[in-house]
Formats: sequence, C-alpha cells, structure tokens
Amino acid sequence: MEAALETRIRELAEELSRTEPVTWRRPAVALGRRQLGSLDGRPALRSALFRFVDAAPACRGPFDRGAHLRAFVREVDGERVPLALRPLRGPAAVGPLLAAYGLASGPATALLARQFIAGRDVKDATRTLRAMWRHGQAFALDLLGESTVSEAEAQAYFKRCAETLRVLADAAREWPEQPLLDADHHGRLARANLSIKLTALTPLLRPLAPERGAADAARRLWPLLQLARELGAHVHLDMEDYDSRETLLLAFEGVLASEEFREAPSVGVVVQAYLRDADETLERILSSPSLTQRAIPPTIRLVKGAYWDHESVIAGQRGWQAPVWAEKRESDACFERLTRRLIDARDSVRPAIATHNLRSLAHAIAYLERCGGERRELELQVLRGLGDDLAEGISRLGYRVRIYTPIGDLVAGMAYLVRRLLENSSNEGFLLRQRHQSLDELLRPPA
Amino acid sequence: MNEDFRNHPLLELRLPEVREELLGAMAALDRELPLRPATIVGGTESRGDGERSTDPCDPAREVATLEWAGIDAAERALELALAARWPLRPPEKRVAVLERAAGRLAERRHRMTALIVREVGKPWEDADAEVCEAIDFLRYYALSARRLHDDLIQVPGERNELRLRPRGPAAVISPWNFPLSIPLGMTSAALVMGSPVLFKPAEQSPACGWEIARLLLAAGVDQDALAYLPAGGDLGRWLVAEPRIATIAFTGSVAVGLEIQRRAHESDGQRQIKRIVAELGGKNCVLVDSDVDLDEAVPAIVRSAYGYGGQKCSAAARTLVHQGVADRFAERLSGAVEILRVGPADDFATEVPALIDPGAVSKFNRYAELCTGAELARAQPAAGPQYVSPLLVDAGRLPDDTPVVREEIFGPLLTLERVRDMDQAIGRVRDLPQALTAGIFSRQPDRIDELIERLPTGVVYVDRAITGAIVGRQPFGGNGLSGTGARAAGPSYLRHFADEQVISTNVVRHGVVL
Ligand SMILES: Cc1cc2nc3c(=O)[nH]c(=O)nc-3n(C[C@H](O)[C@H](O)[C@H](O)COP(=O)(O)OP(=O)(O)OC[C@H]3O[C@@H](n4cnc5c(N)ncnc54)[C@H](O)[C@@H]3O)c2cc1C
Repeated sequence: MEAALETRIRELAEELSRTEPVTWRRPAVALGRRQLGSLDGRPALRSALFRFVDAAPACRGPFDRGAHLRAFVREVDGERVPLALRPLRGPAAVGPLLAAYGLASGPATALLARQFIAGRDVKDATRTLRAMWRHGQAFALDLLGESTVSEAEAQAYFKRCAETLRVLADAAREWPEQPLLDADHHGRLARANLSIKLTALTPLLRPLAPERGAADAARRLWPLLQLARELGAHVHLDMEDYDSRETLLLAFEGVLASEEFREAPSVGVVVQAYLRDADETLERILSSPSLTQRAIPPTIRLVKGAYWDHESVIAGQRGWQAPVWAEKRESDACFERLTRRLIDARDSVRPAIATHNLRSLAHAIAYLERCGGERRELELQVLRGLGDDLAEGISRLGYRVRIYTPIGDLVAGMAYLVRRLLENSSNEGFLLRQRHQSLDELLRPPA
Repeated sequence: MNEDFRNHPLLELRLPEVREELLGAMAALDRELPLRPATIVGGTESRGDGERSTDPCDPAREVATLEWAGIDAAERALELALAARWPLRPPEKRVAVLERAAGRLAERRHRMTALIVREVGKPWEDADAEVCEAIDFLRYYALSARRLHDDLIQVPGERNELRLRPRGPAAVISPWNFPLSIPLGMTSAALVMGSPVLFKPAEQSPACGWEIARLLLAAGVDQDALAYLPAGGDLGRWLVAEPRIATIAFTGSVAVGLEIQRRAHESDGQRQIKRIVAELGGKNCVLVDSDVDLDEAVPAIVRSAYGYGGQKCSAAARTLVHQGVADRFAERLSGAVEILRVGPADDFATEVPALIDPGAVSKFNRYAELCTGAELARAQPAAGPQYVSPLLVDAGRLPDDTPVVREEIFGPLLTLERVRDMDQAIGRVRDLPQALTAGIFSRQPDRIDELIERLPTGVVYVDRAITGAIVGRQPFGGNGLSGTGARAAGPSYLRHFADEQVISTNVVRHGVVL
C-alpha cells in the first residue's frame, strides 16, 4: 500500500517538475533567482545583503542607501564578495561612488520586490490578477503593511481590507467562467479571496491576555465578514506567530458563533504543521462548531509555518521548549499526517495544501487519488515569486491552484520580502535543496 | 563559566495553564495576608506592629504588618557579625549555601512571584522575570566565586599568590522596585565572599525582604552572619555612618547615593575606607535614527518607558529622534501610548500598574504639571488613589531648563525630542550626569559603532528594549553619576566585595630551590 503510494508520489513529482519553467516570461525572476543562488554557501554575504534589502527603503536618498550598502558589505568577513560590490570595500567608497551604488540599488531592490509583490494596491494589481485568472490560476490577496501599534492603524487596515474586498469583487465579477476555479465538490467558490492578518486588525494583541486582543479584533472582523457576505467574497485569516494563535482562534470562533454568519461568508483558517501541537490544533478546528457547522464549509490551509527561526530564538532566549519541531523532517512528517487528516475530512471542509515542497505536494495528490477523491476536491496553493513554476505543473495535472499574492508598498513589504528571501536560500528549505539534490533524495519520505 | 551557567527559564505565561497556576498561588497568598515579618538578629525573630506595607494597586489591602527594627537591634547584629565565624568557613560551604538557596527559591517561585505582585504592584511577567533573576544571581555568584583565580608571574625561588579575603560586615540597603532580586543579589555576593550582612530592605517591601532573609538562613547561612533589619531611613543612615561597617551595597537614587558617599566616613574611629558598591538612577535616552524600523522601535520603546510604570532604573525617559522620522514616530508612538492598559498588577492584561506609594504619585504629578500643554498622548488611568495617567510629552514645547528632561521621574512619563541628527542627540546624552542605560535604533552598522563609542552609559542596547537586563548576559550598572561602576551579575562583581592579599614566599633554602 505505502509502496504504491511512494511510487505514485515519484511519478507525480516527475510530472510536476518536468513542466516548462515559466521564468522566461519574467526575466527579472530568472535574474533574481540566479543572484539568490549565488548566495548559497556564503552566509555572511547573504546576511549582509538581506539586511541591506531590509533597510534600503527606509534610507534617505541614494547617498544614504549607498552608505548602508557599504557598511553591510564591509562587515562580510572571510567570504568572496561579488566583483560588483568590491569597490565598496576600498578607500574610494565615498561621496559619488556611494551615491552611484545607492542609485543602482534602488531599482534593484524594487525589481526583487516585484517578484514577490504584485503591486502597490489592489487597483495596481487587478490586471495581474485577471491575467492569472485567464491563465487558470486563482488568487488569495494579501495586504502587506506595517505592523499595527495603534487604534488608528488598526482602523486603517480595516479600511484597506474593506476597500480591497469591494474592488476585487467588482473586478472579478466580469471575468470569464473557469470551471475548475469557480466550483468544487461543495459548490461555488468565491473569486474575491482576501487573506487578512489578525495582528493588523488590533493593536491589543497581548499573549498573556488573549481575550483583550480577541475582543478588539472582533469589533473589526465583524463588519468585514458582513461585507464579505454581501459581496460573496472569501475571507481567510492567516496564521502568524505562536503568540497570536490563541487570540486569533478566540476572535474568529467568537465572531463566527453568531447566527448571522451561519450561511455566509466563506471563511478559512490556517494550520501550521511545524508546531508540535499541530495535530491537536487541527482537531480543535475540525470540531469547532462555529468554524465547521457552516453552510459553506471552511477552507483549511495547511502550511509548514513561516516563523520557525523566530519561535526558536524567542524560546531559546527565555529558556522554553520551542513550540516548533526541532527537525525539519518532523515538520514534513507532520505535514503529511495532517494532509491525510484534512483530505479524509474533505466532506466537511475544503482542504488547501500550501507548499513548494515537491514531496509534500506530490504526497497530497497521491493520497487524494488513493482515497478515490476527485481533483476538484483538493486545492493547492503557492506563493507568488516562489511557486510560479510549480503552479504551472499543478494546473497541468488538472488541479486548482491558488497563488497567494501580496500587495503593498516596499517599506511595509520588507518584513515579508526578507522572510521569503530567507526561505529561498535557507539550507533546510526545499527550494535550495532542489539545486543540489537528486529527485530521489528530495522525495525520500520524512519519517 | 559561561558554558556552565544557564539562566533560569521564565514561566511560559502565554500558556493558560501556567497563568492559572499563578492565580492559584495568589489566592493562597491572599489567605495568609497580612504577613508578619520579623526583625531577625542572631537567628532570633522579634515581632511587633505599627508599621505596614500595602498593595499599591489597592492600598486597603495590607500585605505585611510589622515593627521597624531599632538601632539597638542593628548594634547587636553588628557585634554578632564582627564575631561571626562565617568569614572562616571554607569557600565551598558558602558557595553551597547559595546553590541551596537557589534551589529552594526555584521551588517556591510561584509564591514569591505572587508576593512581588502584591507588595510592590509589579505585573506578573516582570515579577516572574525578577524571580528568575534572583535565582540566577545566586547561581551566578556561586559559580563565579568558584572561579576567581588570579595568576601572578612566578620566577624560580619565589612563589607568588593573590588571595581574596573577606572584608568584614557589609550593609545592604536596597530599593523596593526589585524587592527580591536586587537585595538578594547584593546580599549573596557579600555572603559568598565571606562578609556577614546587615540587610535593610526598602520600607515599601519588608515582606519580600523577610522572605530573602529566611531563604538564606534556611539554606545554611550562619545565624550571626545575616541580620534582617526592616526599618526606615534613619537605620540606613546609622549603618552608613557606622565605622565598623566595611562595605556598603546600595541601590537607589543618585541623591541618596551621593549622600552615602559623603556620610560614610564622617564619624570618628574609621577602621578602613569603606567600599561603596552603589547602583544609582538614570535618565535613560533612546536614540532613534532616520533609518529606523518603526515596527520594531515603537513597541520596544513603549515597553522600556512604561513597563512597570517606568519604575525601573533602566527605564527609558527620553527619546531623541532624527527629524526625518520624527513626525511618523511621534504619531505612531502616541497611538501606542494611548492604548496602554493601566490597572491592577494581578491582572494579566495590565501594562501600567499603580505607582508604589502616595509620595511617588505626588512626585509624578509635579512633573506632569510642568508638562501641561506639551502632552502628545496620555492613557486612561484606572480608578484608585495610586494610579496615574501615562504620558508622552513633546520636550520641544517645554522650557530649555525644564527638570523634566534632566531629573529621574521614576514614573510613566516619556519625553520626545526632535534632533537634527544623531550628533546632536549624542551631545544631549553626554550633557547628562547620569549614564546608566541608552538605546540606539539604527540599521547602519558603522554608524551604530560610532554612536556606541560616544555614549557614556554603562549599558547600551541596540535595536531592542533598554530594560530587562539578564544575569550573565547583560551585566548591569552605570557610569557617571549612575553608579560606582560595579556590574551586577558580571564577571568582576564579586571582587568589589573582597580585599586582595598578595603573598610572596621565598622558597630558596640554603641556596637551593626547595
Ligand atoms: C499559499 C501559502 C500560504 C501561506 N500562508 C501562511 C500562513 O498563513 N502562515 C504561515 O506561518 N506560513 C504560511 N505560508 C508559508 C509556509 O508556512 C512556509 O514557510 C513555506 O511555504 C515554506 O514551506 P514549504 O513546505 O514550501 O517548503 P520546505 O522547504 O519543505 O519547508 C520549509 C519549512 O520547514 C520548516 N522548517 C525549517 N527548518 C526546520 C527545522 N529545523 N525544524 C522543523 N521545521 C523546520 C519551516 O516551517 C519552514 O518554513 C504560506 C505558504 C503558502 C505557499
């Protein structure tokens, strides 16, 4: 039984990775990838450049940006620095030279960012979204922003969400029918699909007092869900760090418990397989009446989790056992376990498997097939900029793919961008291993 | 040393079951209140009443009822200390006592945390961190006492040695804001180096002090080597002036610290130059450069300035902000200050508790009044006599010579100043006589280095909150008027509590090296 599954995983993976790379359509992507690839094995340089990318949008003009780049590059010790950056280490790296570097690095950072961020705002992005739709790809829009530290900022984020929902619903109404994207085994799927961050919706997130943040977030979640209901849109609550999880679930369950939302809108949550208590969390969600006893079943997005370093560092500094698995393969194994659990529960929920890991992805498809599921019963999700090739492969296999598409300005998008860059070049990550390892190694079962 | 030391783990308060446990400990403590701390001299407890400590968040709640120790008790304690055998005990025994005390404290951490919350109105998370710090002090000093070795140059025929000797009785005079960890740190440092201790706690926290004395005595400190003397300032003055006291370990305000310096040698009959180990107040500044990441800086600064109502010597009092980001910064910081939750310390949602006593409230109000018309933001106070409204003030609208930017307020008041650039900010920091902690928010490594070099403070924090020093990781203490330079929980702290003795022995006999 398992052997057959493994064989099928292998076949699927080959099929998924055989797909033509789409990078030719976006030369910047190819270029960016090559650059990132060259950081492989040079951790100091990588850290220097990422810190620069992080700080660059906050600089005052080209000279200041050049001075930052110089400072970061000069800190790189004992590693080969690319030719193009070497002049910055010399004594001539002053005045005009700095400004020149500053001028050049501005567009370079913007280009890099553009790979991952689809536009400044939703109007800016609708053309891209429509092109994706025509190409057979659904989207989940994400609004990048600064973190929320005040009431006014929470309110501003709320307004952006509401505005985005309206624009999206409006634009998407005109798009041509795409049977695979427009319906699944439970019925119609909302086209306008917005991912929101609970921590942006309230400035009162306090891990020691989750009720406080939950109550405040609920005040804004409520009208957002009403609006989504009116517009027929989908609202997905992204999962963030462990400190915010309890608040998020409290707020979401609290609002959805209201009779008013039993019919609609379509909603979704995220489960992070890198958490040691991921299995229990999924069970809690599957047995939560306010989430699952709804006319429209909730979408449950399974991810590994984007805050592994953060969680490990915080726990280490405070002397706690980290809430995340210590080993990558434990996260992978948990991911497969929960994939199965979700697919088994597909009669009551909408499973969405979000990963760029060929093995994790192929496993989900193979398992669905083994269960005799239909293709439309499973949604596969990838991130813009990281999963573009994979998205093509998924579509070719006849599965619905949804591309998580962030929009927002650069300063605000930096935290997101740096996290994605790190993911792209992290030694543990699939994306980098892909460059070095054979398919056999990559597809080895995690257990 | 560093490999063998682990900081005691904080409680994981984000887990509901852990919070429940603390609430249980609080309920149990409340049933025992008021506690009846005793004066302890030579192991004998004597009790009385007439004095009390109360819960700052609910002054009707009595935490302790007691009688102040008199000068006669201190006199008796000093005589016992002078005759005590503690300095002769083998160092390993003294070390073992500290380790035992650490273990006992770790077992009783929930109760101690609850007591800190009650007696000085410190919110849970800070109170828990304080208990961990206290445990860490004990273990860190035990470990460092074992490792104090100094190698001298040796040549044939000569054996050279440097030994550390006990100095004689130490007076520990401690503040209320860290009623457990600071006095326990000072007391255990003196004890482990062989000095008997006369410990006078702050008037506001006698119950915490009593727990310290009992903990150490139960862990095996000789009864004549530790006296517990809860009392007011007069007893403190007596200890400072007393010629037979060898060391004064004091943590508190700059004013009292300077007075101690003046008074320490006034009386006749001095037998030694007293060693004064003083950790004093600050007027701590945070520099915010133009390339700051406000998402990081704003929450960190709020925590530094308003955590425990600003009643930490390391608390942020001034922010100096590059004009290029000043408007955004002021706007975001204001928004964050407005939503601060003021309330009782035992509520897990509380960020700013009541101030320690009515005196602190009137002092705060005096400064707040000077700021009328310059407020940028304030948070709602809670109902109760010792709550105040946390304030963010635009220093640009205050007169140039305002005391608000020079004096330590020790309350939830932060000022914001726009500066042309970081040079101007550094100039203002250097103008201050206090030099305890400082913070830098900047993202350009060479610029950060340059700023650090020009900052005079004892501790510099980069891109993080400026409170919450951790044992062994951020040895704590100030320069300038902020202290005598010892760094608590640093590698050289214990040396301040010992005398050095150099022994050189000729090992040549009859022309032969034997
Ligand atoms: C559409 C979409 C939506 C997403 N939404 C969210 C979200 O809401 N919340 C969220 O947190 N993340 C989200 N993510 C990000 C996701 O959690 C992962 O960070 C990312 O997808 C990389 O995982 P992978 O399976 O693609 O790649 P892989 O390379 O197979 O896995 C990398 C992941 O493994 C884990 N890992 C790395 N090192 C270790 C280790 N030593 N021990 C244990 N585990 C380790 C980490 O989670 C890391 O991200 C989303 C991803 C996608 C594609």
